[in-house]
Amino acid sequence: MMDAAVAGRDIALVHAEGKRATALRRFRRGDIAFKSITLVSAITVLVLLAGVMVALLHGSLPAWRAFGLGFLTSESWNPVTEKFGALPAIYGTVVTSVIAMLIGVPVSLGIAFFLTEICPERLRRTIGTAIELLAGIPSIIYGIWGLFVFAPWFQVHVQPLLIDTFANIPLLNQLFAGPPYGIGMLTAGLILAIMVLPFITSITREVFETVPPVLKEAAYGIGCTRWEVIRRVVIPYTRVGIIGGVMLGLGRALGETMAVTFVIGNAHRIVTSILAPGTTISASIANEFTEAVGELYTSSLIALGLILFFITFVVLAAARLMLMRIAMKAGN
Amino acid sequence: MSSVSATPRYRRRRWRNRLATTLAIAAAGLGLTWLVLILLVLVVKGVGGLSLEVFTEMTPPPGSAGGLLNAIVGSLLLTILAVLFGTPLGILAGTYMAEYGRYSKLTLVVRFINDILLSAPSIVVGLFVYEIMVAQMGHFSAWAGAVALAILVIPVVVRTTEDMLLLVPTTLREASAALGVPQWLVIRHVAYRAARAGMITGVLLAVARITGETAPLLFTALNNQFFSWNLNAPMASLPVVIFQFALSPYEDWQQLAWTGALLITVAVLGLSILARALSSKKVQI
Amino acid sequence: MSLAIHTEVKEPAETPEETAKLAEKVSVRRLNFYYGAYRALSDINVNLYQNKVTAFIGPSGCGKSTLLRILNRIYDLYPNQRADGEVLLDGANVLSPKQDLNLLRAKVGMVFQKPTPFPMTIYENIAFGVRLYEQLPKADLDARVEDSLKRAALWEEVKDKLEASGLSLSGGQQQRLCIARTVAIRPEVILLDEPCSALDPISTAKIEELIDVLKRDYTIAIVTHNMQQAARTSDFTAFMYLGELVEFDETTRIFTNPRQQRTQDYITGRFG
Repeated sequence: MMDAAVAGRDIALVHAEGKRATALRRFRRGDIAFKSITLVSAITVLVLLAGVMVALLHGSLPAWRAFGLGFLTSESWNPVTEKFGALPAIYGTVVTSVIAMLIGVPVSLGIAFFLTEICPERLRRTIGTAIELLAGIPSIIYGIWGLFVFAPWFQVHVQPLLIDTFANIPLLNQLFAGPPYGIGMLTAGLILAIMVLPFITSITREVFETVPPVLKEAAYGIGCTRWEVIRRVVIPYTRVGIIGGVMLGLGRALGETMAVTFVIGNAHRIVTSILAPGTTISASIANEFTEAVGELYTSSLIALGLILFFITFVVLAAARLMLMRIAMKAGN
Repeated sequence: MSSVSATPRYRRRRWRNRLATTLAIAAAGLGLTWLVLILLVLVVKGVGGLSLEVFTEMTPPPGSAGGLLNAIVGSLLLTILAVLFGTPLGILAGTYMAEYGRYSKLTLVVRFINDILLSAPSIVVGLFVYEIMVAQMGHFSAWAGAVALAILVIPVVVRTTEDMLLLVPTTLREASAALGVPQWLVIRHVAYRAARAGMITGVLLAVARITGETAPLLFTALNNQFFSWNLNAPMASLPVVIFQFALSPYEDWQQLAWTGALLITVAVLGLSILARALSSKKVQI
Repeated sequence: MSLAIHTEVKEPAETPEETAKLAEKVSVRRLNFYYGAYRALSDINVNLYQNKVTAFIGPSGCGKSTLLRILNRIYDLYPNQRADGEVLLDGANVLSPKQDLNLLRAKVGMVFQKPTPFPMTIYENIAFGVRLYEQLPKADLDARVEDSLKRAALWEEVKDKLEASGLSLSGGQQQRLCIARTVAIRPEVILLDEPCSALDPISTAKIEELIDVLKRDYTIAIVTHNMQQAARTSDFTAFMYLGELVEFDETTRIFTNPRQQRTQDYITGRFG
C-alpha cells in the first residue's frame, strides 16, 4: 500500500508554499522575538534584586571600611566626630516590630476568627472589605495621625497610667519608666500594630479559607463550639500558613518608614524604657539622609539600609517558603 | 432529655467559647474603630483646609497662604511616568512566567524573588535609585523619583499578570493552537483579551500602592517649592510635601499637610474600590 | 459470530478490493506515546483514508483522545509527553522535530469536546484564523466567513448578528462556530474529539448531519464514546482498549462481524 518513494522519504516534512510559507516565516520570527522580550523582562526582575544588593554594598563600603563589623555593635552616632554605629537603630527596629507583632497578631487572628466563623454572612463582605481598605491607607497617613492625634492622647491619658501602674514592680518599672513623652518606641510599636493588622488579617483569612469545609462540618457535627473548631481544627491545619502570614507582616513592620518616623522621636540611644524615644533604621535614613554631610555619614546610612534589606530579605524569604508549602498542600 | 447540657465540663466549654467569641468580636470592633477614627480625623482636619486655592496655588513659604498645586501635579507626573516604565516590563515578565516559561525552573525563581520585592522596604528602593541615578547624575530629579516608583510598580504588575493569565482556560489555548496560531498571537489575541480586566485591575492596584509612597521619593525626586515641569530637576510630590509640612512648627503648613493627606487617602481608596468593582465584573470568559 | 445490534449501520461502502485502492491521507505506524515514564499508547498502526470518516471507539482511558491529539501534535504544548514512531501526512512524517507545528495544525484542524469560542465577535472568531495566513480584501474575507458558516450549518442562524460575541451563542451553536472556524482555514484533515458529548440531542443530530457533508471535502477522524454515533457517522472504525489498537476495519464489519473477541464484548456492552 505504501509508495516506494514514500518509504525513503520518512524524514520529509509537511511543507508550505507561497503565501502560507511567508506567513509561517513571520510566525517563527514573531515567536522568537516575543519570547526573547518576555524572557529578558523576567530576568530583569532578578537583576533588580541583585542590583539593589550590589548598589547598597557599593554605597556602604566606606562605612564598612571605617568601622568594620563593629558598626553593628557600636552605640555611638555622632556626625561631628564622624563616629557611627548601627545598634540603636537595629534595636529600635526590632523592639518596635516586636511590640507591633505582640499586639497585632492576636488581634488579627481574632478578626480572622470573627470573619470566618462568627460574622453573619451578609456583613462578612462589607467588614472584610473595610479591613482590606485599611490595608491600603498609605503609611504617611498613619504617621501624621499618630503624631497629631494618637501621641498627645497617649501622653495624657495612657502613659502616666502605665508609669504609675508598674512603678513598684521590679523589672517592669524599668520597662515603663517615665517621663511620658507621648512619642517613643511604644507609640511607634502601637501605630505599627494598627498598620500591620489588616495585612495579617487578610492573609490569615485566606489561609483559613483553605480548610476544606467538610473538615469543619465534621467538627461542628460532633458538637464542637466555634472556638473549638478554630482552635482544634482550623489553626492546626493552617499553622504553617499563619506563621507565613505573620512573618510577612513582620517583614512589612521591619521596613516601615513613614508611620514610625513621625512618632519614634529620633534619638540614637538605647534605653530600657519603651516609653522613651529611640530610632529605627528606616526612620534614621528618612530623617537624616538629605542632610547628611560627608561621605562617611551618607555611607553609614546606606549601610543601615543594607542591614535592613538583609533582615527583611531573610524574613520575607522564610515567609514565602512557608506559604508555598501550604499552597501546595491546599492545591493537591 | 439531654444529659450533655448540665455537666460542668460542658459549661466550661461553653464559657470558653463565649469568651473567645467576645474577644474576637472585640478585636473586629477594635479594628473597625481604628479605621473609622483615622478616617474621621482625616476628614475633619483635612476638609478644614480644603479650598479652591489648594488646587490652584503653589506651596507657600511659612506664614503665607498657598496651595498644593505643584505637589499635586508633581505626584501625577511621577505616577504616570512610573506606570509607563513599570507596567510594560511587568506585563512582559508576567507573560513569560505564565506562557513561554510556565513549566520552567526560572519561573519558580522569578516568582519567589518577585514576591520578596513586592514586600521589600520602599526606603531601600529609594537608596538603590539614589546610588544608581542621583549619585551618578550629580543631582536629584523627577526621573529618579519615577524610576524608584516604577520599581515598586513592577512586582505588583508581574504578580497580577501572571495570576490572570494562568486563569485563562487551557481549552481556549489549545483551540487556538489547533488552528495553527503561533504562540505570540495566541497570547496577544486570546490570552490578553481574556485576562484584560484582571490586568487592568493589577495596574490600578499598583497605582494605589505608589500613591502614598513617601520614602522612595525623599532622596530621588526630593522636593520643589515651585511649580516645575522639568523632569531633570527635583520635583514636588504630595507625600513629601506632607512630610515636610507636618513635621514643621507652622500651623498653616500643618493644615496643608492634613488637606494633602485627605487628598491622598481619597485617591487611594477610590482606586482600590474601582479595582475591586472591575474585578468582580470581569466574568466575561 | 454474528450479533444482533440495535444500531443502524451504514451500507458497506466498499468491497475489500476497493478499500485497498483508497488513498491513505494519514498513516500511523508503530506509534508509542508516553506521559513521563507511563506508556499510554502501544504500537498503534492505523490509516485515515482520504475523504472518509474514521471513528475511534473504546472505553474511558483507552487512549483514543491521546491518539487524536498526536495527529496535530497538540500534546507538544506540555512538557513530559512524547511520541515515538511515525505519523505520515501525505507521506511526510509529522512527528519529526523539524516539522513546523503551525503549518501542521493549519492542515490538520481540531474541534474539541468543550465548545471554545474566542472572546471575540462571531465574525472575528472565523476571520482571525483566516487573516493569519492570507491577506484577503474585505469582500473576499466576508465571503470566506459566510462560506465557512454555511459549511457548518450555522449561517442562517447568525447571519444577522455577526457582530455579536461568540459567547452569546448556545452550546450547539458554539460548537458549530468552532467547526466553521476550523474549516475556514482550509485544512485537509479534521479531527473531532467527542464533539457532541457536551451537547443536547438536537444539536448532536445536526452535527452528525454535518459530518456526512463535510467528508466530501475533508478527511475526518472522530473520537466518540457513543457507539451508535460511530456506527451512524463513520466509514471505518478503530476499536481501542488500554492503549492498544484492537481492531480496525470498515464500520459495517466491526459492528456486525468483528474479528476480535474483545471488540465483540465491547460492542455488546459486556464492559465499558
